[in-house]
Amino acid sequence: MLLPSPSELCWGIKLPPEQKWLEKAIHFAVSNIWQRAHRIARSQLGDESQTLEMIEIAIGKAVDRLQLNSQASPEEVTQLLERLYLQEVRHRRKANNRIVLVGASEDLSSTSTHHPQSLVDSAIDLDIILQNIPPEVRFALLLRYSQSRWNEIAAVLGTTEASIRLRCKRALNRIRQKLEDKKHGL
Amino acid sequence: MAENQTFPLDEDNDTLLFEKLQEHVLAHYPNPERKGCPDPAVLKSLIETPGEVTLAALNDLHIFKCAECTRLLMELRQQKKHEASE
Repeated sequence: MLLPSPSELCWGIKLPPEQKWLEKAIHFAVSNIWQRAHRIARSQLGDESQTLEMIEIAIGKAVDRLQLNSQASPEEVTQLLERLYLQEVRHRRKANNRIVLVGASEDLSSTSTHHPQSLVDSAIDLDIILQNIPPEVRFALLLRYSQSRWNEIAAVLGTTEASIRLRCKRALNRIRQKLEDKKHGL
Repeated sequence: MAENQTFPLDEDNDTLLFEKLQEHVLAHYPNPERKGCPDPAVLKSLIETPGEVTLAALNDLHIFKCAECTRLLMELRQQKKHEASE
């Protein structure tokens, strides 16, 4: 699968004209940390599969912080984005270390989901889909589930609509994919 | 995907997704004994004054796995819409 370009990761950031500099600065920062972010994910987490998600989370946090400040240089934005990305990597590495394996490998054959019904039952497990998601994103999803509008959710969380939607995007895509899989009996 | 793509203003895209999710929860997560459910007053606050509700008071993501809470949320939301239209 082809990796999206850094600019595609910035697609959700739509800011007012006076903050156009931030959109450009984030684009510049993503381009700068792109290769290094993949190397860090590989070395710290064992694979690169979470890189895009972690960069998106770092972008969301960076936009939140920078909107409160006066104009920062592209280099400062790069440093901030990299710091937030590393923070997310550390968070996930700690979470991975807390995983406890119970039972022996022989047990797997009796507990694995070979039965079609089991596959359907396990197709959507929000605990798994939403694991490692920050509390404010969980809360945003619950508010959206209770039919609050995105602008209302942003106001409750004290952020912008673009930022919170960007941060929820990955979880929403996972839920959408699971519901589609279930619909098709996968 | 364009660099400057914006979110659709009408929110239809994820409105439909959340409706499907609600249907799924109603069909697959019955909880007649209301195990782990937050107080109904908390759900009412989630609709009316969401800024005053905490994730802990909601028992984290419990609502996503509870048909009873989902049903009550839908009723409360309908009630609010009804009151607003009067």
